[in-house]
Amino acid sequence: MDPPPPPSTHSSTTPVPPPPSTTTATSTTSTASTSTTTPSFPRLAVLAPSKTHTFSPPQKRIHTGADLPHFLTSLAYRDIGIFILQLNRALCPRKPSSLPTSTSTSTSTATATAPAVKATPQPQTFPLNAPRSDPPSVLWLRDMLDQVAGLIDQAPPEKGPRRFGNVSFRRWYTLLEEKVEAGLLRGVLEGVDLGAWGGSLGAEEAGGGIKGEGDTKGGDGMLRGEGILEEVKGYFLGAFGSAQRLDYGTGHELSFLAFLGALWKVGVFRDGKGEGGEVERSVVLGVFEPYLKVVRRLILTYNLEPAGSHGVWGLDDHTFLPYIFGSAQLTRPITETEPMPLEGSVPGAPRPSDVAKAATVDLHRDSNMYFSAIGFINDVKTGPFWEHSPILFDISGIKDGWGKINKGMIKMFNAEVLSKFPVVQHFPFGSLFSWDPDPEAALPARTAHVASQPGNVNTATATPGEGAGTAAPWAQATKMPGSAAGVPSGPGIPYSRAPWAAGGSAAPSAPRGVVPETGPPPPTAFPRGKPGTASNQFAVTKAPWAKD
Amino acid sequence: MSDLDRAITQLRACRPIPEAEVRELCHKARELLIEEGNVVTVNAPVTICGDIHGQFHDLMELFRVGGDVPDTNYLFMGDFVDRGFYSLETFLLLLCLKVRYPDRMTLIRGNHESRQITTVYGFYDECLRKYGSANVWRYCCDVFDYLALGAIVLGASNTLPEPAPDDVEIEVHNSDGQVISRFLRQKDLDRGRINSTATSGSASAANGQHPITNGVSSSPTSSPSASSNKNTNNNNPSDPTSTTALTGPPGSSASSSSGGSLGNPAGAVLCVHGGLSPLIDKVDKIRLLDRKQEVPHEGAMCDLLWSDPDEIDGWGLSPRGAGFLFGADIVRTFNHRNDLSLIARAHQLVMEGFKEMFDASIVTVWSAPNYCYRCGNVAALLELSEDESGLGVLARSNGDMGRSLGDGGSSSGLGGSSSSGNWSGGVVDTSELPIRPGPARRYRVFQAAPQDSRGMPAKKPVADYFL
Repeated sequence: MDPPPPPSTHSSTTPVPPPPSTTTATSTTSTASTSTTTPSFPRLAVLAPSKTHTFSPPQKRIHTGADLPHFLTSLAYRDIGIFILQLNRALCPRKPSSLPTSTSTSTSTATATAPAVKATPQPQTFPLNAPRSDPPSVLWLRDMLDQVAGLIDQAPPEKGPRRFGNVSFRRWYTLLEEKVEAGLLRGVLEGVDLGAWGGSLGAEEAGGGIKGEGDTKGGDGMLRGEGILEEVKGYFLGAFGSAQRLDYGTGHELSFLAFLGALWKVGVFRDGKGEGGEVERSVVLGVFEPYLKVVRRLILTYNLEPAGSHGVWGLDDHTFLPYIFGSAQLTRPITETEPMPLEGSVPGAPRPSDVAKAATVDLHRDSNMYFSAIGFINDVKTGPFWEHSPILFDISGIKDGWGKINKGMIKMFNAEVLSKFPVVQHFPFGSLFSWDPDPEAALPARTAHVASQPGNVNTATATPGEGAGTAAPWAQATKMPGSAAGVPSGPGIPYSRAPWAAGGSAAPSAPRGVVPETGPPPPTAFPRGKPGTASNQFAVTKAPWAKD
Repeated sequence: MSDLDRAITQLRACRPIPEAEVRELCHKARELLIEEGNVVTVNAPVTICGDIHGQFHDLMELFRVGGDVPDTNYLFMGDFVDRGFYSLETFLLLLCLKVRYPDRMTLIRGNHESRQITTVYGFYDECLRKYGSANVWRYCCDVFDYLALGAIVLGASNTLPEPAPDDVEIEVHNSDGQVISRFLRQKDLDRGRINSTATSGSASAANGQHPITNGVSSSPTSSPSASSNKNTNNNNPSDPTSTTALTGPPGSSASSSSGGSLGNPAGAVLCVHGGLSPLIDKVDKIRLLDRKQEVPHEGAMCDLLWSDPDEIDGWGLSPRGAGFLFGADIVRTFNHRNDLSLIARAHQLVMEGFKEMFDASIVTVWSAPNYCYRCGNVAALLELSEDESGLGVLARSNGDMGRSLGDGGSSSGLGGSSSSGNWSGGVVDTSELPIRPGPARRYRVFQAAPQDSRGMPAKKPVADYFL
């Protein structure tokens, strides 16, 4: 069958829509108002096939904390942000289409003036377990993930006395590598017109008619296909934890997101419906959640350690994105022209406080990604929820609905994942997620946050409150300027209030952004190369400056 | 009731004390700790504990199982903070107890007692959340810089107190004080070992079954040391000054006679958070370090807090990115040179709470049950009883540096001349070094505190991202 013609928003020949040039949210919506039907919410552009494009295996670029500011103003950072926001918005419930688009007169101020949803027509929600019509690319990826999960049976965990992490994970990972080398990922490019990327076959129709043509007939198309595969492979193999350290964390999760983003950019998902976020929903609910299920099986089977864990003071031991996408699923409905709400919940949504009730979590974990993630925590942890997951517990007290939580999660992801050297140091860069500077990026403000990463010595010059470099995509989504509110100014999660100040203690008023006087010492490049033979295990604390 | 006692009461109830009191406490603690040497001398009886990681209620369980302070003499081997919910309450309580009962409470530094690590692994976040500022975190970190790097336990007995029979070397108790298993002491040199098989009560046959050949252990579990000849050249730094005439406390390097120094017959026990360093061949070299600083990224001080024993020969690179891996031959050589019978360390989760390795020359003690609320492990503490023979009892010493007279020569731990090993005058096969008979060891294994011992949920200050 022929893939549908690419949606108009995909076919732009400019690589990427210009990111907002200021940090105020309304500017992009208004500049894009030439198209009345599809306002230009950030969307990762599908690259126009080009003969001159050079694919390359992604390479590590972030070597010290001093490289972070560059990352935060890079094209890769921008594209990651755009892709997450695009997926995020697609998951937000939609107002019933019969409703008049009451906001058509002023799309840019929709949130302030959004009318109450009428009771009769139900908003459309996007639960995990509702029937979807996923495009072939998504079905293919899901099958592929099933194969990946199947490898677990071929590498059963070692029995007997052992340390926490199970060394059989290394066996599993070797199987995965072998399978990838044997062509596990090849099929993903079936719908891609490889000829158009390669030599003389420039026209869309030449390759689009016969699926897989470019991949099998050799020549330039073949080579191009190999190049694309080499590049996306780097992200795919980085997405299942570290075989050496026997751990899994948000850096690996980010790698899978980049894998999907890379596929998006080369046009793999053009076989899906571009309007109304349908293909994006298929990507999240039909690929990303199944991926998380594979990862959870890996964590349980091999006792994978949380990578770079803050212990109970992190959001979650292993993952972050299900909290973004899951809260989006429960946010107040929008029309196709409205931006993400900053507060409110869809009617019928569980309350945020329900996450602390195990029974209620079980009710929703099959339909919602947030509750699915919480359910997994409940599976693996014992003890009071508020104690082993205090950050999630705090968030469960938010009164302004899932929209508020969604906004906060996005800001937190930007600060606690993308802006953290220990997390992103392993992220590799290629042609699709490029280390090149984003020309539109704001000048990287030297925030205390960035400054306090290993590798920066001079914390004294920190300027808290100025916001990190390209806060733009994030700020746009959340209608928040990329100011202090979005970026923490210290190494930890910022709090403005002292919780138990009433308890007789003289807790000072909240100098969020206080920079430790004695910052971390400058890192010396760690000279010791690859580690030896020790079987790793849960108790292992990695030196934050360690390279691997 | 003094302010300190009031603070202890409040902290025992798991309620943090006000910031001003923290500052004062940390100031007092620093004044106390600055007087301690890098290697604190502790006299048995002592109860040795491993990582706590902010698991306050489990620390209370530990005190229930091991006895309360000051009735029991405690030695904590670091990693009080990070990962758990109550790092603050845990560390402040231990610090209060240290200030209140300085001779009954020894705290040494773990790799998590560091500014850089606590900003990554949770303690910083916790202080920020519980106080709204980083001040308390800063006070605590200033104390971290003064914590000792290790401890030497003297005067530990070869036998356990009644009613244990005299020939019991290892006894494992459950949290109710019932004996789960006993391991009898080997005659001669082949020391009891329960390596990784020491799950509670299941290893009773593991000990005492190894053949003895001419006094040399040929245990199948000690293969690293048996095949380590090729490494010994590098691992036996020269010891140009003969010290055989000296006597002194074991572990102080003042006695290098393997035949038997004065002091307790069990030999001394070195306690350190992580392990050994290729830069440290004598305990006295630890005493020479300038410890009052942030834990460096490399060097001897870093290694002591970061290294791990492993089934390798010699030294290996650590997957942690700091410290080293070290094999049985390293431990054997080090213990022999320093007249140690045992190294007690923490730093690694052990599902069974403790794990003896390398012919029981080193033990890992882990005191955080159900680590991170999910590991399902039990915890342990190690009790060394007092030697009643009257030998080896020394006044508590705060690390009098340079007691050894024999330390003026080579200072290289690695690559030194191997021409004059201090034992036989030639290249030493480390597998032939005699192992001092270790102290009798009683492990008490305990599980996570029941959940009903928890208080009410804390209030919910939401992070700024969600405001």
